[in-house]
Amino acid sequence: MAKLTANTAKAMARELYGYELSEESAAEVAAAAGAMITRSRKLGNLDLSGVQPSFGYPTLIAEAERIRKRC
Amino acid sequence: MANPSPLLDFDVATLAQKLRVKEISPVELTEAYLDRIEAVDERIASYITVTADAARTMARTAEKEIAAGKWRGPFHGVPIGLKDLCYTKGILTTGGSKILGEFVPNHDSTVWTRLGAAGAVLLGKLNLHEFAYGATTNNPHWGACHNPYDLERIPGGSSGGSGAAIVARTAAATIGTDTGGSIRIPAACCGCVGLKQTWSRVSRYGVMPLSDSLDHTGPITRTARDAALMLNVIAGHDPNDATSSREPVPDYTSRLGGDLKGIRVGVIRELNTGVSEPVAGAFTAAQKQLASLGAAVEEVSVPSFVEGALVTMVVLMAEALEFHEQWIRERPGDYGADVRSLIETSMTITAVNYVRAQRERNLMLAEALNALQDHAVLLAPSQATAAPKIGDRAYDMIANMVRFTGPFNATGQPVVSIPTGLSNEGLPLSMQIIGKPFDEVAVLQVADAYERARGPLPLPKI
Repeated sequence: MAKLTANTAKAMARELYGYELSEESAAEVAAAAGAMITRSRKLGNLDLSGVQPSFGYPTLIAEAERIRKRC
Repeated sequence: MANPSPLLDFDVATLAQKLRVKEISPVELTEAYLDRIEAVDERIASYITVTADAARTMARTAEKEIAAGKWRGPFHGVPIGLKDLCYTKGILTTGGSKILGEFVPNHDSTVWTRLGAAGAVLLGKLNLHEFAYGATTNNPHWGACHNPYDLERIPGGSSGGSGAAIVARTAAATIGTDTGGSIRIPAACCGCVGLKQTWSRVSRYGVMPLSDSLDHTGPITRTARDAALMLNVIAGHDPNDATSSREPVPDYTSRLGGDLKGIRVGVIRELNTGVSEPVAGAFTAAQKQLASLGAAVEEVSVPSFVEGALVTMVVLMAEALEFHEQWIRERPGDYGADVRSLIETSMTITAVNYVRAQRERNLMLAEALNALQDHAVLLAPSQATAAPKIGDRAYDMIANMVRFTGPFNATGQPVVSIPTGLSNEGLPLSMQIIGKPFDEVAVLQVADAYERARGPLPLPKI
């Protein structure tokens, strides 16, 4: 299991988001996130080489056009 | 207390027939619903805002138009409610939050624009889990919503008010949203029909986001036919939502009313585990019922669904943090404890976790499509148990609810949650019917055939 400590969780929240986690919350976050990250690593074991993430270029074009019209 | 009006007994399909021929009046019908809200909603808390004056005005307009022969369709004069995540111009839209507790949008969500244009009467804005980020609707800011079948239990969530209103008969039909199960879970807990259509089938414009790539907006109704009628109104491309699909919109009622001869149905092995005895018993009985209607029912495997809820949760939490990042820094104390904790946990999800989960979605859909190659629809339970008690902190929402519903947010497939009966405790049980992308017609066909064979559920005694 990923060893995410309460202190690491606190540091990530502070350094990345400018957010102060309480001691109690940091312990809860470390436990929940540690389990989730460990399970997420399993996804890395799947052979997904050559598989694209599910983002769509047609959406990119359409959204850009919509924003352009608004400008 | 006076007996509820018999007008509340009619589903939308029946109301449409009676309204069209002026057998009943939109004004009379709206008053019946407003009276019902007045009588029971103090105990249910399905609504955050009741728009009684606006509803009466809309009902009078509908009455005049129908009298003049200008019938707009099945929702003309029908009283509905919207989850309070959907923008309504000039009407309080809170997202179930304290942070947006005084927010009044200056435009409508497309879903309301379309329903309003179809002549629907807006009764009000429905209670939900704060910012749609949870499955209990135990809302700390606007009051806990209660399950009409047992007031000590949750109605599910996040669209808890939308589900509760259907069976409490405080709305004829409602709109919910679904990011990890938030239409289907309340439909399952409350004993009504919830349709999460294909991602992109219905515009998300003007609906507060939780997770852009997983969010769906859809109907919660009394019957599969009503869900089809509502989808007929709200589906279709919207220039204001670049992600909304340009696929042609069929008539979703086109295959309702028949049997299931020649239809092959696959039961997803990976999701047919770890459920309570009542859920398992009702699910097995439902499969037999489908077989008796002519369907061939057999087991199929979708291996990646074992971790399907995890994929959904990683994507959901990462995208939700992007929406909440400024508020959580500036107003952390204005969030409820459970939602704040989820947002805090999101801060540890890395870009690698997120992109990998997005990539995994392709594999999940590929496996689901493989199972659907020889089957019109797939089946799975909607949740592991009937609705838990309000405040049951030991109840694991991911293991008991999102495990069953979340995979289909990742794959974006159409799913209907439909009741399979009541438990011995008198609580609704439910199953999901899952289809190929954009094949809501097949999903609704099977749901409708099953529903007619099953017969009506006893209403809650409130």
